[in-house]
Amino acid sequence: MKTLLKWLLWLWISIMIWGAFKYAPLAEGFIGDSSRILFFHVPMAWTSFIAFIAGGVWSARYLFGARDPKHDRAAASAIEVGIVFCILATASGAIWAKVMWGAYWNWDPRQVWITVAILFYAAYLALRSAVPDRDTRRRLSAAYAILGLVVAPFLFFILPRMTGFTLHPEPVINPEGKVEMERRMMHVLILGSIGFNILFFWIHNLRCRLETLFEERADSTAFHGGS
Amino acid sequence: MSHTTSSWLAEAFAVFAKEWRTEFRTRYALNTLGLFAITSLVVVSISLGPLGAATAERTTVMPVLLWVLLLFAVAAGLPRAFVHEEESRTATALRLSATPSALFTGKLLYSWTVVLALELIVTPLFVAMMHLPVANPGLLALALVLGGYGLAAGGTLVAAIIAQARSSGTLFSVLALPVLLPLLVLAIELSRAAIAGDFVPVVPRQLLLYDASVTVAGLLLFPAVWNP
Amino acid sequence: MQESPPCQLSFQNLYRSFGRLAVLRGVSGEVSTGQTLLVTGANGSGKSTLLKCLAGLMVPDRGEISYRQDNTQLDARERRLAIGYVAPDLSFYEELTVEENLLFFARLRRTSEDRIGHLLERVNLPPDRSAGTLSSGMLQRLRWCFALLHQPRLLLLDEPFQNLDSPGQDATRSLLEQHLDEGLAVTANPGLLELPHVAHHLQLAG
Repeated sequence: MKTLLKWLLWLWISIMIWGAFKYAPLAEGFIGDSSRILFFHVPMAWTSFIAFIAGGVWSARYLFGARDPKHDRAAASAIEVGIVFCILATASGAIWAKVMWGAYWNWDPRQVWITVAILFYAAYLALRSAVPDRDTRRRLSAAYAILGLVVAPFLFFILPRMTGFTLHPEPVINPEGKVEMERRMMHVLILGSIGFNILFFWIHNLRCRLETLFEERADSTAFHGGS
Repeated sequence: MSHTTSSWLAEAFAVFAKEWRTEFRTRYALNTLGLFAITSLVVVSISLGPLGAATAERTTVMPVLLWVLLLFAVAAGLPRAFVHEEESRTATALRLSATPSALFTGKLLYSWTVVLALELIVTPLFVAMMHLPVANPGLLALALVLGGYGLAAGGTLVAAIIAQARSSGTLFSVLALPVLLPLLVLAIELSRAAIAGDFVPVVPRQLLLYDASVTVAGLLLFPAVWNP
Repeated sequence: MQESPPCQLSFQNLYRSFGRLAVLRGVSGEVSTGQTLLVTGANGSGKSTLLKCLAGLMVPDRGEISYRQDNTQLDARERRLAIGYVAPDLSFYEELTVEENLLFFARLRRTSEDRIGHLLERVNLPPDRSAGTLSSGMLQRLRWCFALLHQPRLLLLDEPFQNLDSPGQDATRSLLEQHLDEGLAVTANPGLLELPHVAHHLQLAG
């Protein structure tokens, strides 16, 4: 069953990659083939967004729930994998910006947001590594992750409005609720968003299981005096 | 007012009074934050004073300098609120006696008053040394009060988090900066508006919203951070 | 007719490790009103860790702690604020005097400040002395005052008589005896002194 799911995921992503290069047409007003990078950039950005929110939710379940270590491992793994997706989204975005706007980096509001997000979650990992006691580490990092979700809306909604303008293309889901995108491009984007999210949860699941094994090994050497 | 509310307030006030009493005996905050801010102010003023920066850029650059100065001073002194309790091992007695939310409130009020005192010393000096005309002093005061509260609230909560970690000194800046960034942007914007004299009413509201959000988050998260 | 005692502390199968070092491995015990539980063991056998877990200053990895006080069950948070705790890791504000320290903690505990003078007299401690200049024996006396400030039912004592001279030992021992009229105590490392009302003895393996 598990193997079958893995193959399905592999097939799904393959179709999505093929679609991005062969099925979808080029977007108007974009230089060369540069619009194709968006089929990867947008789903990765969305996935990191979902990963960080999931990390916050798991942190809250740990801190205000029964203090189940399982939730702490889930939160830490989600944030770790989320950072990887976030960095990939940033890099792909920067390459695209170089082609379109002539510079890798120009402090567009979204680039500000993503930089602060990466700084924040890197600080989260730094905090985790700076607390030797396991129980204390779980409490402190969960609180910090939740604090991040409290501050995030300010970065997300207020900062872009303050800087005033953006070169960033309209998001797929825009305030007017209308979709300004060619039908086939939309297909690939939906395929990619779902595929990358499933990919995230698969990697996340592996990461959680690995973390469980690490903790069990630490416990067994502690309580049974093994080597 | 019910009995429990008034004794909760008394508890928070006891923490606040204890902090100021020890401060008057050691002068720690005054020495570190105050001298740090004034020294950096002198350095900035010598290199960037009335002759250093073009007039056109002054209204944009000056509020940034002021808030970066305040931020660094706060980062140098504020973590002590909790780090000192852990290092001198008074945290154990405190854990056994205090209601966490009252303790957090007392510490936060103390930090806020320290930041306000710091601003009261630094801002007039800054304005004088930089020959900075302020179009709307009332608005600048508002930015300092609301922004100072945000610095104190976010800083106190992060101080409580890092106090139980190793190498807490460096960790404070790393953890506090992403949290305080929206506040700094808003406070800088409001200070710029005060100096230039163009007022955008939405900014103070957003500052107030930030302050309220971080306070609620602090009261909610602190008990879980403080107690095992 | 056997009535159940008004206060009872019991703990089952407590485990606690620090990284790879297991300190507590399945420790259980019980003590109720008027009794002392004596905890002994070699250095590093986990006596202080056990008391910290009982005080609610540390969470055990596994196991249950249950404390009933005046016939009501207290959770970990309530237990932490209810107990009296004497231990070497207890310090006070060096910038404040002995009396100011106790006044501060009395206000936090929302308890009467009248007992402070009485307690200081019992252990013979000068109220105006700054806590930073106390000798180690005087600091130990201050720890006792802090622990008894709110008249707790349960006393957790870790090395309660360390650094005390013989008048100090007599004073604190009589405080403990008086406490045991209505309360209970868990004592670790009492030194060579004979303890009153020892009902149980828990020997921790090293």
